[in-house]
Amino acid sequence: MSEPTATPVVEMRHINKTFGPVKALQNVDFRLMPGEVLGLVGDNSAGKSTLMKVMTGAYQRDSGEVRVDGQSTHFKSPQDSRDIGIEMIYQDFALCGNMDIGQNIFLGRWPKRGLFIDRKRMYAEAEAVLKRLKVDVNSVFQKVESLSGGRQQSVAIARTISFDPKVIVLDEPTANLSAMATERLLETMLELKRQGVAQVIISHRLNDIFEVGDRVMVLKRGENVGERLIKDTDEHEVLQLIVQGNMETAPEG
Amino acid sequence: MTRTSPPIQPRPPADLAGGWEVGLLVFMALLYTVGALINPGFFGGSDAAFAVLRDASRFGVMAVGMTFVIVNKDLDLSVGSTLGLVAVVFSLTYAPSFADQPAWLGALLCLALGLGIGLVNGLLVTKLKVPAFIATLAMLFIGRGLVLGLTGGKNIGYAGKAEGDVFFLIGEAGLFGLNNQILVFLVVALVGIFLLGRTRWGFESYATGGNAQAAEYAGIPTDTVRLRGFMLSGFCAALAGLMNVAQDKTVTSQYGQGAELIVIAAVIVGGASILGGRGRVLGSCLGAILVVLIDKVLREGVPTVRSITVGGVEMQVQAMAQLPPGAVPAFLGLILLAAVLIEPWLIRSGLLARLWAKLRGKPPPAGGTAEGAAIVGVQTRGSRATARDFSGGFFSRLLARRETAAVVLAIVLWGIGAILRPDFWASLDNSFNLLLAFTEVALLAIGMTFVIANGDIDLSVGAVLAMSGATAAFLMKEMELAPVFAVALAFAAGTAAGVMNGVLTNRARLPAFVATLGMFYIARGIGAWLVAGRQLSGFPEGFNLIGRKLIEILDSAGIAPPPGSGAHALASAVSVQTLFMGLLAVAAGLILAKTRFGYAVIATGGNRRAADYAGIDTARVRFVSLVFSAMCAAAAGIIYIAYLRSFNPSAGQLRELDAIASVIIGGGSIFGGFGSVLGSLAGAAVITLIRALLSLQVLLPDGRSFIMPQHWVNVFIGGILILAVLADIWLRQEHMLQRLRTRFFPKRESVSPEEAPS
Repeated sequence: MSEPTATPVVEMRHINKTFGPVKALQNVDFRLMPGEVLGLVGDNSAGKSTLMKVMTGAYQRDSGEVRVDGQSTHFKSPQDSRDIGIEMIYQDFALCGNMDIGQNIFLGRWPKRGLFIDRKRMYAEAEAVLKRLKVDVNSVFQKVESLSGGRQQSVAIARTISFDPKVIVLDEPTANLSAMATERLLETMLELKRQGVAQVIISHRLNDIFEVGDRVMVLKRGENVGERLIKDTDEHEVLQLIVQGNMETAPEG
Repeated sequence: MTRTSPPIQPRPPADLAGGWEVGLLVFMALLYTVGALINPGFFGGSDAAFAVLRDASRFGVMAVGMTFVIVNKDLDLSVGSTLGLVAVVFSLTYAPSFADQPAWLGALLCLALGLGIGLVNGLLVTKLKVPAFIATLAMLFIGRGLVLGLTGGKNIGYAGKAEGDVFFLIGEAGLFGLNNQILVFLVVALVGIFLLGRTRWGFESYATGGNAQAAEYAGIPTDTVRLRGFMLSGFCAALAGLMNVAQDKTVTSQYGQGAELIVIAAVIVGGASILGGRGRVLGSCLGAILVVLIDKVLREGVPTVRSITVGGVEMQVQAMAQLPPGAVPAFLGLILLAAVLIEPWLIRSGLLARLWAKLRGKPPPAGGTAEGAAIVGVQTRGSRATARDFSGGFFSRLLARRETAAVVLAIVLWGIGAILRPDFWASLDNSFNLLLAFTEVALLAIGMTFVIANGDIDLSVGAVLAMSGATAAFLMKEMELAPVFAVALAFAAGTAAGVMNGVLTNRARLPAFVATLGMFYIARGIGAWLVAGRQLSGFPEGFNLIGRKLIEILDSAGIAPPPGSGAHALASAVSVQTLFMGLLAVAAGLILAKTRFGYAVIATGGNRRAADYAGIDTARVRFVSLVFSAMCAAAAGIIYIAYLRSFNPSAGQLRELDAIASVIIGGGSIFGGFGSVLGSLAGAAVITLIRALLSLQVLLPDGRSFIMPQHWVNVFIGGILILAVLADIWLRQEHMLQRLRTRFFPKRESVSPEEAPS
């Protein structure tokens, strides 16, 4: 997956970020290859979300470099990073429960015809996006609050991919899902991967990452303590890294 | 004392928190000196100080109860009308001309009544999940309606019987020449300080207000705690009502009017946070004294010398420059808003500390950020969207079209009217009147639809209506401005009120109900100020055309259809304002249902964070909606005086209630995210018809007729608002019918919604 010749879609080098006296990230390196699914794991407050927020521009780094497609960037806000194709899906989905699926997929950028909203186009395209994800819902006219958690998550992802992103970051996507819904979601993620979208999963559930991931990266107290290719490791080893977090010099084999 | 802020952002230095009360005292002393300078005759002696203390006692007692409510993160707008109602009930029980019972019986009855009102408020808020400000606002109007209905607007006095009665000692001077009310205040304050600061009850309140969910997890019965707060508040209001009658030995229907403003301002000035979790009884008591003092200073006249010319001779006349009494609430409203803003913007953001550091050229202290001042969390939202079963039953589908109920109800109500008075109901005259009343409510409801769909609320529409009406009348009569300019300026005044609402909610991040509550008093006060003591009527005829029937316009243009034709009848029933409202409704309806802006409104109300994240400028959306609502109210105010050809100070009173109820009945949700203009129009029709039916003269079979006294109508309207909100929460949002159905007819065993067939 990570042959050194290809340009990583996102690369971060020597990232440092402090909040007052707290060193949230120390000299962290990060790399995401096109079409790769990377699991980002670690204890609470290990810096996983902070790292992703530095990447999307929600936080400003103290030092270090963020490169997207080899270009050095400096995002001022998440909006900047979304403009070039980095999308983050939050734990609580960020959907409007009172609106229907179609309206949510196009939240904030509903297609217009003249002064008014082009409902026909909106629902047709929403349908197409859902098809592309192979998510089957009853109808695009269904209110999102009447959907189960897993379906809401699917709508959130459908909304995200309708932007044609390069990178999707999923923050604890399976935290509130039933086993069945998790299964569905993982299928969706594999489908995305097949379509060449790079993904970062922040998760506590190692078995989810082992099911869909290519690579896993472990953070501990703001430091990168190890990276493994999924095919070369097992849950036990990753767990060891999370708990013991012995610094290594050579991250990968 | 108790601290509820997270450890990362420490509470301001302890000396500042303790210094708050000291600051109040210093400010009070300053203000008193100013008062004494302005009018030495009144504020000079110790009598004056005692008088201030005496009058502050009643508000202080109420403030003690209110402190518990506000610390719990609730609000009680009904204290003023509870005071009035208690005073009336006591008087009816005691007065020789009525029940003629002993005083202790009346007093017990009243305290029970206060507790009862608190209980109802509390149950509505905790068990039935009605937002506190809506529940207690409706209670305010119901109480006011009861006061008017029970007294019939007349005074009830009983000075003769009260002579020598022990109960009335409460209102007399006692120890050291101090009024005994001050003693009562002192006792209540001490009990309050002990209760909130030293007992489990108090600590439970701080926990509930600070983080209700955490408190719930920790095993604190938060519902009980909040219920208790409302009951304490009701009890204290009842006590204040008794103190009031004990002093005056009479009651008028004005008792306690606007008292909620003083009491809430007192508690907030006293250092409590509208965010909940913070506040002290001592501060509230000092705040009460301070606010009453401000109130007195404002009402006090400044002695001036005016020169007038009588019969060619110039004379110097001693006069008092004085604010008209109606204007005082404008300042109190401002104080309320200022006090609410102090807490997040001055204290929590550490503005002073940062300023001080900057002055000395040192780096600002860590911690204090403007983000800490975000008090958006107090939104009225009470329900969270959870995964819900989507089943296509008949009931849910009917209820799914949220406007249905309002349309059906409007038709049914019209039918009832036609049955009750077949001779009169469908007549041209009545239809005209109905349409006219409908127009005013509908105009307000159209604007309110956007605000409520946004998840905000606008309590100021009635007051803005009055203010812009007063402005137009004042400019035309007193300033003799041309109608066009007067209308434009009046409209601008209303719009300005909306802009202030918008700035306060979006920039200063106050909850909309607090910002617009402040505007409610400010706008009404300004309106009263403008018209004070003047008869404003007789406007230019060109202006009055705004309020005429269509047929009169057509007549004056010479293009009226022949009498007797359908077009003539229609033109006689429809007035210009109705036409204007209709056009506005169509435009607003299209915008809300069909444009990006309308979708953005609904999205903002549904989940503001999500809308923000999706790139919708939610602050702009909310701002525009509040301004639009105020514009609608301003237009309604201008039309109001054009139709009545004069300005009446009671313009727009209770209209905020009508407008809110219309929107809720018409499918809006008090938590935001829903609403349609069509539904709101149907809701406005329902409200108009209910009002018309309530004041309909009903012919009884035996030839007599019956008409409900106007005073009682408000009681019903308050009740209807509560019912509408309850129906919305429980039928539409919580799917009560569906849940009852599944409880009694359990068809399938908990199939996960995922797998449920469509």
